[in-house]
Amino acid sequence: MQDWQMDVQHVSKRFGETVALDDLSFTVAPGELFGFVGSNGAGKSTTMRIALGMLSPDHGQILLGGRPIDLAVRRRIGYMPEQRGLYAKMRVGPQLDYFARLHGFDRPRARAAVTYWTERLDIAHRLHDRVNALSLGNQQRVQLAAALVHDPALLILDEPFSGLDPVAVDVMSEVLRERCRAGMPVIFSSHQLDLVQRLCDRVGIISKGHMRALGTVDELRAAGVARLVVRAPDADPGWASGLPGVSVVSHDPGRTVLELAADTDDQQVLAAALRTGPVHEFALHRPSLTELFREVVAA
Amino acid sequence: MSAPPAGTVPAGLSATQAITMVAVREIRTRVLTRAFVIGNAVFLLLIVGSLTLAAVLQDDPGKPVKIAVVGEANELNPALQAAGERLKTPVLIRELATPEAARAAVVNGDVKVVLLRERGGYVARADKRLSPTLQALLTSAVQQRAVAEALTARDVDPGVLAEAASGARLDVRFERPPKKDADQRTALAFAVVGLLYLQLLGNGIAVATGVVEEKTSRVVELLLAAIKPLHLLAGKVFGIGVVGLIQLAAYGVVGLTMGAATGLVDLNGAAVGAFVSTLGWYVLGYLFLGMLYAAAGSMVSRQEEVGSATAALSVLVIAMFAVAQASVSDPNGDLSNTMSWIPPFSAILMPLRIAAGVTGPGQILGTAALMLVTTSVLAVGAARIYQASILRTGSGFSWRRKAAATG
Repeated sequence: MQDWQMDVQHVSKRFGETVALDDLSFTVAPGELFGFVGSNGAGKSTTMRIALGMLSPDHGQILLGGRPIDLAVRRRIGYMPEQRGLYAKMRVGPQLDYFARLHGFDRPRARAAVTYWTERLDIAHRLHDRVNALSLGNQQRVQLAAALVHDPALLILDEPFSGLDPVAVDVMSEVLRERCRAGMPVIFSSHQLDLVQRLCDRVGIISKGHMRALGTVDELRAAGVARLVVRAPDADPGWASGLPGVSVVSHDPGRTVLELAADTDDQQVLAAALRTGPVHEFALHRPSLTELFREVVAA
Repeated sequence: MSAPPAGTVPAGLSATQAITMVAVREIRTRVLTRAFVIGNAVFLLLIVGSLTLAAVLQDDPGKPVKIAVVGEANELNPALQAAGERLKTPVLIRELATPEAARAAVVNGDVKVVLLRERGGYVARADKRLSPTLQALLTSAVQQRAVAEALTARDVDPGVLAEAASGARLDVRFERPPKKDADQRTALAFAVVGLLYLQLLGNGIAVATGVVEEKTSRVVELLLAAIKPLHLLAGKVFGIGVVGLIQLAAYGVVGLTMGAATGLVDLNGAAVGAFVSTLGWYVLGYLFLGMLYAAAGSMVSRQEEVGSATAALSVLVIAMFAVAQASVSDPNGDLSNTMSWIPPFSAILMPLRIAAGVTGPGQILGTAALMLVTTSVLAVGAARIYQASILRTGSGFSWRRKAAATG
């Protein structure tokens, strides 16, 4: 089986005066679920469109399986554009069959693939309905089926979870994990950062065309500034002000959030807290992906 | 259902397979809609209905004209029969007893006209209108009766005069005699122009709308991950064109069949040739315009912009229709003759000229060759614009900018 790793190599793209991508580089390995997050206009969709060969980069290149993007490579990609990407007035079954056959499937294999994916995504009972008669969630399922029906080697999904109910999110998440377990690299963009944190093997945070953070969720959280949460009901507001290497982030009655310098001894902080009275909580807090994202975007 | 169906990675589709697959989807999508089925059924019924009506209203020269006479007006009977013979219009005379009965017969349509004797003269009563032929027949009969009475009063035998008159003949000859099926040819030319206009404009806009639909829905991004833009374009234009051709053929077959059944159309005459040439010229005209409509559609990103993007093309089609309309009454005039050499005007003027019987093989082959060459050149340009524009969104519409960009 061919290794379909995706290599984004120093890709830059401008639209007039606007810099959409600036020297962007990252890889998505086979079997990896990669979350691509960023604000609107950060460059996620542009990256995906370049990966699909719809746009040409000004500099750099994207390789899939070590090959530059051409039609033969594109045929091996399963793609799901944001929200749309289907003939609204066409019925679900014939539409999926059409996409499979355009990728070279013969009629029996196309029919088998349509049956499998519509059953897997729980839309088999809507095969004869027009797409515009379906709910948004079911339309998203049909879109995912359209991306998967030709047995792609790589999945590129633009906002696949937007507008989905929790059940549909679970179904879609399970399908993506399943494809990864089968060795397929999967890259998807999303604004639902809790979902990305829960689901992805690795995450890239892009802002204004630059990759600001890249790694596993644990790596990113570990690299973020650690904070200490101390719950000491009798502590005065300034109890930690004089401690070396410690800065107070916030203080609510009974609860103080501290930021420690790299070589600060947290046991000295605990001792200082105990001198104020009882300590009910003393916990190191790593930033969530959402907090990291806010920091990156604000930077 | 633990794993998706496995198999070898299929080879990509050949150009023919890809174009056919896209075209078949276009054909199915259009033909299976309720609007298409109902619209075409209504149009076919209109063709049947209008031809039936035309047949009913048409004057039949061999059909006897029914004339009623009341009372003393029956003295006109010999003169009416004689006038009918002269004008080659058989006359059927009914004698009725009262003016009221005669009036009822006229209103009911039992007779075309009733003749009565009033105040020393004759009165003809008709329902709503009286054809010029019948009016001439009645006038001739009344005048003949008056002349006969005058001659009898002077002891002259009217038979002698009638014999002398019947021997005198006027032989009328024409410098440019109309063809024996001239009326049929004019009607055919009119039908050809109308049908081609509707099909070229309607299917051209369908191409542009279809292209924009794929672009706005971003389906095109999925399609172009599987096939080449040129194959998608060709399949779409081909599919919609085939639907248009089938529609046109259906209208023609129904029209000719009904025309033949009602006696309005002679299938041994110009009709079949006009029908076949209309199909051929539709193909040429549609290819010319369809590619341009596709390029125009690819340059905009919203359905609301289709009108402005295709306005220039639609004006061109309307201009073709206007020139053709002006040429129906004079198909061999300078306007028709000159413009028929200019693509795409030839697409509508040449079938008109063929239907009217005013062109020959030289002009047909020459104009078709010009049309093919022009269409080929334009198709290359249109395909370049399409390929450069179909994945772009947000930019405004400009033929000049796109042509320059695709250079």
